[in-house]
Amino acid sequence: MDTLNELLNGFAAAMTWQNLLFAFLGCLLGTIIGVLPGIGPVAGVALLIPLTLNLDATGAIIMLCAIFYGTAYGGTITSVLLNTPGEAASAITTIDGYAMTKIGKAGAALTIAAVGSFVGGTVATIGLVAAAKPLGELGLLVGPPEFFALMVVGISLLVALAGKSMVKAVISGALGLLIAMVGIDPVAGAPRFTFGMDRLLDGVSFVAVIVGVFGLSELLSYRKDTATPTVHAPNLRSLLPTRGEWRRSAPAMARGTGIGFGLGLIPGMTGSVSSLLAYGAEKKFSRHRHELGKGAIEGVAGPETANNSHANAALIPLFTLGIPASPTIAVLMGAFLQQGLTPGPTLFTEHSEIAWAIIASLFIGNLLLLLLNVPLVGLWTSILRVPSSILTALILLFMVIGAYTINFSVFDVFVMIGFGLLGLALRHLDIPLAPMVLTLVLGPLMERSLRESLEISQGDFSIFTSRPISAVLIGLGLLIVFSPLLKLRKPKALNEDPET
Amino acid sequence: MKTRSRIATALAAASLIALTGCGANAGATNASAGDFPKKGKTIDLVVAFSSGGAVDTAARLIQPILEKELGTNVEVINKPGAGGQIGYTQLTSAAPDGYTIGATGSPSVVVSPLDPARGAKYTRDSFQPLGRQVIDPTVIAVQPDSPYKTLKELLDAAKANPKSLTASTTGLQTGEHFALAQIQESTSSEFAPVHFSEGASQATTAFLGKHVDVLVANVSDVTDLTKQGKARVLGVMTSERAPSLPDIPTFKEAGYDLEAGTVRGYSAPAGLPAEVAKKLEAAIKTAIEDPTVKEKMSALGLQTSYLSGEDYKQFWAGQEEDFKKVLPLVQKTN
Repeated sequence: MDTLNELLNGFAAAMTWQNLLFAFLGCLLGTIIGVLPGIGPVAGVALLIPLTLNLDATGAIIMLCAIFYGTAYGGTITSVLLNTPGEAASAITTIDGYAMTKIGKAGAALTIAAVGSFVGGTVATIGLVAAAKPLGELGLLVGPPEFFALMVVGISLLVALAGKSMVKAVISGALGLLIAMVGIDPVAGAPRFTFGMDRLLDGVSFVAVIVGVFGLSELLSYRKDTATPTVHAPNLRSLLPTRGEWRRSAPAMARGTGIGFGLGLIPGMTGSVSSLLAYGAEKKFSRHRHELGKGAIEGVAGPETANNSHANAALIPLFTLGIPASPTIAVLMGAFLQQGLTPGPTLFTEHSEIAWAIIASLFIGNLLLLLLNVPLVGLWTSILRVPSSILTALILLFMVIGAYTINFSVFDVFVMIGFGLLGLALRHLDIPLAPMVLTLVLGPLMERSLRESLEISQGDFSIFTSRPISAVLIGLGLLIVFSPLLKLRKPKALNEDPET
Repeated sequence: MKTRSRIATALAAASLIALTGCGANAGATNASAGDFPKKGKTIDLVVAFSSGGAVDTAARLIQPILEKELGTNVEVINKPGAGGQIGYTQLTSAAPDGYTIGATGSPSVVVSPLDPARGAKYTRDSFQPLGRQVIDPTVIAVQPDSPYKTLKELLDAAKANPKSLTASTTGLQTGEHFALAQIQESTSSEFAPVHFSEGASQATTAFLGKHVDVLVANVSDVTDLTKQGKARVLGVMTSERAPSLPDIPTFKEAGYDLEAGTVRGYSAPAGLPAEVAKKLEAAIKTAIEDPTVKEKMSALGLQTSYLSGEDYKQFWAGQEEDFKKVLPLVQKTN
């Protein structure tokens, strides 16, 4: 077949030692950048673009793609070990990943995350090869009303993330929505909740918020007696997941791959939505769902697979339609343009060799990341052997650097500190943090798509029920919310606290 | 290499903050014009939009040439958000010593100060234009299978049934929104605007998925779509045909004397010493007119159209007058 031939040619081009080296360097740099909280994929790729400017187009793009998914994995490492997500898509992984670290299973969590990332990334790349064109068109079916309906499904997961008390989950969710409203009002164009501060015109920096809420509040809530257990020096056996853990991870990875792939195709959807939904799916469907939040491997495998699947699937709209589906892809697209390549269908007609070399390099990069990171799991977990006093100081330093480097602004450092205090207060009140993060991510997307939908229909709400895809999705959302009431599921499943 | 030094700077600055608990704000030294720029002192080029967009790409294309011409590091810094307002605020509040310059695009830079509701802390006088780089005219496009074959047919339909056709913009009070207001004011053809505040790529996606009827965009956004047969451009809002769309008639040819478009250039905070301004203007001119840069810009469908700082200033003032006329219309229609 033609496609296969071209792919093989692509592999030939990608397997030169220079290009392999670029892929390797990209994975390594990406992982390191991802480990620093705050510098997520967007900033990571943007910061390293200058490094690639003098390379030839193939090498440059290969390296940037490798940095791109390397940062995604690096973000996981800090989520698991330090309860501080390196980027938004890994925020949900902190829940079970960090719980696993506390019980001395950090190695297993990281290994599963690396394998899950590999599986998700590779399957999505196969999807890119096999069905790029029809899938790209499919993403276009999702217009503002369908997008809004998807957000309804997402918000309905509040139920799954509710923890002990639904009321507390709703309070947490509402807080997230309030925070998300700060900035320029997208309907009237006027500033709202900015308290006259220019800095707040663009809203509160999401990364600063999650670093504060999850990381700093964790650090602040350390007491002498609780600080020590986190410094479990993992033994060699705990580095590898047990057979039972592999068995439990497999279905989670399958679900994560599907969710990430599907959502990755939709322009405007971010990886964090995928990982949140994948976690929600585990809460609903995992056979061990009652263990989620206490260090269940599914809570790592699902979201981590989903965000890598998402990242690779998000390249499909770029390659097939020339549409950057996420901010990181937009940065990547900028790099394409600087290399004289215009992403889109013409990429395959005008620069076919480069396009296929890049696709081949995605396979290679995913494999390299796995080869690079599984052996390094021991190294990463040895971070935990550092005495807790020094570790705490280092984490604090990294958090400050992370918050500062988002926009190179001291203001974001204060935002991080403020939200750290808020997170501490919420922990004391036993209010779960996950719903807040969910609405913080989904709120703006929901508001935006609601507004656009109503502009299209000129104020007629029936647009959401008259279009088949959105009608089905809204139905699904309602089903998720009301299924516990209908006792379709054991209500006990909802009585677990995802935060511990 | 620059990246490394930038990360290192960030690390250093952040640790300083961490250690001392206060923001390190190195005061800008008064540049004596003669030795501008000091070797090793970085010039920040503030881009008020996110990386990957047209403004950012243009800035990154001229950056290496600026470095060569000025003999020092030039760093592109993205400060996106609030329709450019955040980046422009940063640019205009920097010291006018030549070490902070920025990409300025209209209508964003022109519009925010006109609307008091936005609370912009700058006016046109806060900028010192250094040179114009491109004009990217606004176009009106419909679906390839649309019943409207000419601009007149489309506008007549929108006149007969106001608000029956949806049209994309890239947000409230953006160039596209103003273009729709200009059309409405002079032809009474009224579209129902759908504001895609995330920008052109989101608007284009919605158009490709047939969720909006009319795409209002820039020439550079539709050059590729036209080649692929995914959009039928009906008119270009400029007096001359766009080189990348030679078959598409202008609004003027179709009988509508309307011009609109996005214009991008570079500016410094007002009050630059004359000597420094002269050096920067010269370097920017060389960079904009560099043949490789021009070639890459035109590959993106962007037409290089250089104007000196003084001429750019005049042009900017003219634009402001045009926008003021339709501003009430734009503020009213939501």
